[in-house]
Amino acid sequence: MKRSVGQILGRAGIRIPLILWSIAVLYPIIWMFIGSLKSNAEIYRNPWGFPEILNWQNYVNAWSNYNIDTSVWNSLIVTLVGTLLTLLMAIPTAYAIERINFKGSKLLFTLYVSAMMIPMVLGWIPLFFLLSNIGLLDNVFGLAIVYSVSQLPFTIFVLTSFMSTIPKSLEEAASIDGMSPYGMLWKIITPLSMSGIITVTIMNAIQFWNEYFMALIFLNSSENYTLALAIDFISNEAQYTNAWGTLFASLIIAIIPVIVLYAIFQRRIAKGMTEGAIKG
Amino acid sequence: MVQSKKQKYTFLAVCLLPTFIMFCIFTLYPLFSGLYYSFFEWSGSSQVKTFIGLDNYIQLFNDVIVPDTIVHDYFLVVTKVIGIMIMAMFFAVALTQLKIKEAPFYRIVFFFPNIMSVVVIGILWMFIYNPTMGLVNSGLEMLGLGDWAKPWLGSETWALPSLVLPSIWAGIGLFMLMLMGGISNISKSYYEAADMDGASEWTKFWKVTLPLVWPQVKISILYIVITTLNGSFVIVQVMTGGGPNNSTHVMGSYLYQQAFVQFNFGYGATIGVMILVLSLITVLLLQFVLRRDKVEY
Repeated sequence: MKRSVGQILGRAGIRIPLILWSIAVLYPIIWMFIGSLKSNAEIYRNPWGFPEILNWQNYVNAWSNYNIDTSVWNSLIVTLVGTLLTLLMAIPTAYAIERINFKGSKLLFTLYVSAMMIPMVLGWIPLFFLLSNIGLLDNVFGLAIVYSVSQLPFTIFVLTSFMSTIPKSLEEAASIDGMSPYGMLWKIITPLSMSGIITVTIMNAIQFWNEYFMALIFLNSSENYTLALAIDFISNEAQYTNAWGTLFASLIIAIIPVIVLYAIFQRRIAKGMTEGAIKG
Repeated sequence: MVQSKKQKYTFLAVCLLPTFIMFCIFTLYPLFSGLYYSFFEWSGSSQVKTFIGLDNYIQLFNDVIVPDTIVHDYFLVVTKVIGIMIMAMFFAVALTQLKIKEAPFYRIVFFFPNIMSVVVIGILWMFIYNPTMGLVNSGLEMLGLGDWAKPWLGSETWALPSLVLPSIWAGIGLFMLMLMGGISNISKSYYEAADMDGASEWTKFWKVTLPLVWPQVKISILYIVITTLNGSFVIVQVMTGGGPNNSTHVMGSYLYQQAFVQFNFGYGATIGVMILVLSLITVLLLQFVLRRDKVEY
């Protein structure tokens, strides 16, 4: 089919907003990286330009003088413990809800799923005192527990829909061979849902790595800060100390793991998030 | 299945109970006791929790800042829904209907901010808005529009609108993908039929694409509304802390301010109940407003 001149022009016209928005998305991120290599004077003098010499000192400064090393470690612990706990709780529940007939399975599923729509900020006040009473306030493991429970509804939601695609005949065959339901859960369903498990785990890990507000409420002392709190702290400090290059460097440190995960699992993450969003 | 009833129930208990108990302790209990706290005056540190009945609610209705926080929240909801939906729809249509070779590139780039931390986004945009070294003001000067330069986040008029842009910036990719999913499910035959009738691209959008992608539109709008009402305080806390002069406080950041800065935990809980009630009402109303009969051709 021949294209009219109008169509060709229209196609070129449509590219302009696409290109402009790509610049709007990419430039600030690149700018942040360039800024992390500039001296403070250069950041003031020439906001748009490139640095004259690459000032890697900003990274050293952030890493050791502003304790980013400790908070990277804390964020790693919270993320790892949090994602593992979530799986440990969500996999058996998702399996039982999806595959075993019992009274109230629908109700339980509805209860978990509707928790996704409720603003949890009301619960954070009592949670603060609860954690304080059980000695888990200002503790990265306490935070990991809170994170993992907060992602339970989403995780159960995604895993049940994943498990529903596994053919029931596999379990029937295993049951004839005398396999116990525990065996079925760990030896058949879990391996077969691995793709779904990996997807939710990446989503949860990104969520836990990025989380800021609960960390702000539940952690007090700077040696327990997660990365989100540490960069927020540097950002507030920078108003007085002008440590802008250091702040840029710590922002880059915070997004490197996310960039790496995104580069590897781009499709999975996008799919997982759009599916998770349908929950509402 | 050859299982005794007892075996089945033990298995169910093993699978369900530990998770459910954790969910009760860390989700249900805090929510309900949040409600309970709203009837007390309590500064947290002292052991004295005084029952004051509805006094917190009376205070809430007389608090001059509360109506502003609600207005700010809904300002963010409306501007985000309009901004995100129009742009996401435009990009989604462009990337699915027109055969653009580099479409995967745009898809990957536009989605990336969705997985960045709100703290990083907030601090990055604080820089972009920075009056002396930010991109906005220096960019305006380069374009010869130096008169438009402002201390964006320091201005009572401009601070709240300035928070909308980062939220749109960070949100578009997700909704673009959701709409793209919907559009790619539309059967080609509808467009072929429309082409035979000589319909313009514009007519095709209004008569074919939009009605058939409506379920995704509805879900996206609901999702933006819920996440904004339940989470807008994060970007507010990072970028302005509610200031200048309370001009950007939203319900959640005001709760944080009352409970965790000024230690009025009872009153904070009351604000939390208000957030809960308002978001439930909003979601129910929206579901009614956005209801549309399923389209079939």
